[in-house]
Amino acid sequence: MNSFTIETLEAAPDEIYDIELEHSLLEANAKLSRDNRALLDRHGIVAIDFMGAIGSGKTTLITRLVEKLKTGVAVFNGDATTGADADAIAKQGVPVVQIATVNGCHLDANLVGKALRKIDLGGLKLIFIENIGNLICPAEFPLGSKARVVVVSVTEGPWMVRKHPHMFLGAAIVVINKTDLAEAMEVSVEELANDVHKLKPDIRVIPTSCKTGAGLDEVTAALLAV
Amino acid sequence: MHELSIATAIVESVLEFVEKKGASKVLAIRLAVGELSCVEPEQLRFCISSITEETPMENSALEIEKIDAEVLCPHCSYSGRPKYWEDALSSGPVATLQCPQCGKAAQASQGEDCCIRTIKYVA
Ligand SMILES: Nc1nc2c(ncn2[C@@H]2O[C@H](COP(=O)(O)OP(=O)(O)OP(=O)(O)O)[C@@H](O)[C@H]2O)c(=O)[nH]1
Ligand SMILES: [Mg+2]
Ligand SMILES: [Zn+2]
Repeated sequence: MNSFTIETLEAAPDEIYDIELEHSLLEANAKLSRDNRALLDRHGIVAIDFMGAIGSGKTTLITRLVEKLKTGVAVFNGDATTGADADAIAKQGVPVVQIATVNGCHLDANLVGKALRKIDLGGLKLIFIENIGNLICPAEFPLGSKARVVVVSVTEGPWMVRKHPHMFLGAAIVVINKTDLAEAMEVSVEELANDVHKLKPDIRVIPTSCKTGAGLDEVTAALLAV
Repeated sequence: MHELSIATAIVESVLEFVEKKGASKVLAIRLAVGELSCVEPEQLRFCISSITEETPMENSALEIEKIDAEVLCPHCSYSGRPKYWEDALSSGPVATLQCPQCGKAAQASQGEDCCIRTIKYVA
């Protein structure tokens, strides 16, 4: 404004200004997520975050994966109010940090950054981050993970991907869990997979059952390869 | 629900800005919301008005501009508007990351952000 004049303009008390700001609201979180990623890269650690609806099986899946991996892995648990999920995973004898968000509906890069400073990163290869059970909010807030996994389950019905398309656009892997219940729920796993691929053709879709163990080796291999 | 955290970020930034400028009242702010950001304009509007009572932002005008989604395809070099999924069960057609030209996976190149464009205030 007024770059042609040298003297500074003093604003009259009631003068109106119209200022261009171009201030990004997501950039603050995005920057912190890049910082987290740089810290993880320096330590040779791959972080993976798990998103999905309430009760889709995020904690159960992570617990099964930790059972298979046994060492070199830590888990961050986002949980609005309780420590139940963190306690369940801690039984596996791996470092667990519960990230309480109080009323927040998603984790953010700042909270994950704090959790990263709470544990000894030496010797770790993987960190699994369980996001808050929610299908909309977490998508907007990258955490610094190398890949995002969405865990959906057949108990959420046949239309869950069509109803919540946003969550899938940023995901590298989609786990369709509770396939042991697919028949009872009359839900087609293939249809769900097709819906995911309509949104983003290169997403890796892996059907699993944490109950029977089906698909869990494939998930483990996919995560070790990201 | 996350509109509230975005609204809080907006209000904090605006109030910090006007305090630095010694402004007495915000008349209007203009936001730009990307089509791929899952921010719902009407919810955002409601959240902002509900947290600005008794602040210099109270009753200020709020203009929300939509930024169209655009994608870029690494496979066939397509660049432009995305392919829409017409019969998704969302509130309308959904922008996808399937390349409209070759059908492979494209990347979002525009429409993911959400930003404050301009602020109009009284000094
Ligand atoms: N039948 C069956 N039940 C499962 C499977 N995976 C998880 N469950 C059950 O589903 C319920 C919810 O599982 P959790 O792992 O707590 O789900 P979550 O996604 O972590 O839930 P929140 O953290 O509350 O959002 C539990 O009762 C699990 O035992 C599965 O593959 N098959
Ligand atoms: Mg859980
Ligand atoms: Zn293409």
